[in-house]
Amino acid sequence: MRIGLVCPYQWDVPGGVQYHVRDLAQTLRRMGHHVQVLTPAEREESLTDEGITFAGRTVPVPYNGSMASVQFGPVSAARVRRWLRDGRFDVVHVHEPAPPSVSLLVCMIAKGPIVATFHTATTRSKWLAAWGPVVRPWLERISGRIAVSDFARRVQVEHLGGDAVIIPNGVHVAVFAEGPPLPGYRRGVDGPTIGFLGRYDEPRKGLPVLLDAMRAVVRRHPGARLLIAGRGDPTAVRALIGENLRPHVALLGELCEEDKAAFLRSVDVYCAPNLLGESFGVVLIEALAAGAPIVASDLDAFARVLEDGTAGVLVRRGDPAGLARALCELLADPDRRAWLSENGARVAAGYDWEVLARRILAVYETVLPPEGGGVTAVDDDEFPALPPARVQRSARRGRAPR
Amino acid sequence: MTSEALLFVLGGLLVLLLAWAVWTLTRLRRLEARVASAWTTLDTQLQRRAGLAEELAREYPATVGEDRADYLAAFAVDARAPADGDRELAENLLGRELRDLPPGLPGVPASVRTDLAGTTTRVSLARRFYNDAVRDIRALRRRRLTRILRLHASRPLPRFFDIDDRLDGVTASSDGAGQRRR
Repeated sequence: MRIGLVCPYQWDVPGGVQYHVRDLAQTLRRMGHHVQVLTPAEREESLTDEGITFAGRTVPVPYNGSMASVQFGPVSAARVRRWLRDGRFDVVHVHEPAPPSVSLLVCMIAKGPIVATFHTATTRSKWLAAWGPVVRPWLERISGRIAVSDFARRVQVEHLGGDAVIIPNGVHVAVFAEGPPLPGYRRGVDGPTIGFLGRYDEPRKGLPVLLDAMRAVVRRHPGARLLIAGRGDPTAVRALIGENLRPHVALLGELCEEDKAAFLRSVDVYCAPNLLGESFGVVLIEALAAGAPIVASDLDAFARVLEDGTAGVLVRRGDPAGLARALCELLADPDRRAWLSENGARVAAGYDWEVLARRILAVYETVLPPEGGGVTAVDDDEFPALPPARVQRSARRGRAPR
Repeated sequence: MTSEALLFVLGGLLVLLLAWAVWTLTRLRRLEARVASAWTTLDTQLQRRAGLAEELAREYPATVGEDRADYLAAFAVDARAPADGDRELAENLLGRELRDLPPGLPGVPASVRTDLAGTTTRVSLARRFYNDAVRDIRALRRRRLTRILRLHASRPLPRFFDIDDRLDGVTASSDGAGQRRR
């Protein structure tokens, strides 16, 4: 099958949607399909992989405690049109098409079967409530909608007026399950270690809460160390850590994918103290696959992945004392850690990309038009809003009694 | 002077209204095509499911159970062409019968089992996408301005297709797709 994937966020900036698209593309290619990706990027030169087309740059807009990227305009539209024409796709799969991005442009310009995946899970967004009706005429063209979670589906139902099939985010389980740990941080030997992963300049990731909790943890477990991996300003985070905690914290900086997997295989406990806005929590699945016992805040999305607290420990969000208690208990209980580690592998297997790609392919097959024909771009004069002069005969009208 | 301005404003409003009507007609036409295509897919998958049920009843009565095979065959025939015209009811009966089949379907070749599991998954997908398309077109048809301008008013309003297509049971052992974490 010829598949066109559209990622609305800059490819060379780490992010969940980008990884989702990359992994899906990889898996589908391995299954023998032809896959092309259209994505914006910070620097065009960074798109070195085969089958990736540059869609332009985006304008960052602060949104929901994070950065959203906005991209619109005639140049981007021309790029989309060319990509659609050159690609001759059977199906186009856009991600997160509601914001003004290259994904929405594809919905406006593409003619043919479109599948969309919705990642956002923020249900109380005034922005979405106001914007939903505006983009509705174009989102209407989507024939198959996928949501990565119940919560993302709820956004669909409440703000965008549709339903969606739930197919979760995936991970390449084997990448995380098999391999060596980080040198010097072997699980159960050089420990105990607690891992944190994420951009530490984003308050919603909750690093300050974890640091507060750490102050209590090191009183009970003087050998405990916190490993922090991710991007951010090291001076700012050092000030946050403070003198007394400094010997117990190691800043690993940004890790490449391989090192991230090794990092998750190394830590004795993985901690996700996020405060809000996490739509899925792929990192939890990665940690499960790597056999890391998890302590996470009780965000809906996290509770879902951790099967309401059976596959990991859930604590109240933003509560350093509660978090410290949970970490101390888990560090003191090797049997529980071993059980969580083993159980994690079982849970993670259901999120393996091989399994999920097959389900996504079933969605593609379901939206393919019965009479055949792939995706094209609408004619230039048809864009943005004028209807074509020539009237297409639809199958239904052919059948209806006149 | 004021009457001229009024005329100007009215003319402008008329043009806007006309543009909106043309744009809405385009949307309605596109949505009709989407509904039609989604229905064809759903119909195809339902027919295929009925065909597989007939095959199971005919070829593997030992697995299905002799008395149940008769039911299965009868429900399959009814689903293909419902006697009372209620397709949803007929498909529901067939779906329940298929869900009640012995788990794992011993004695049935893997190819048939995979086919059945795949078809069940696709029925559920196709039904959701069809209802999604119906919801979209109904929302637009129900808009006040659409009704006042009587856009597509003479055409039948597509109906939702509601059947119980839970996947448990049928896909228990044979197919990796579409069964986890629903």
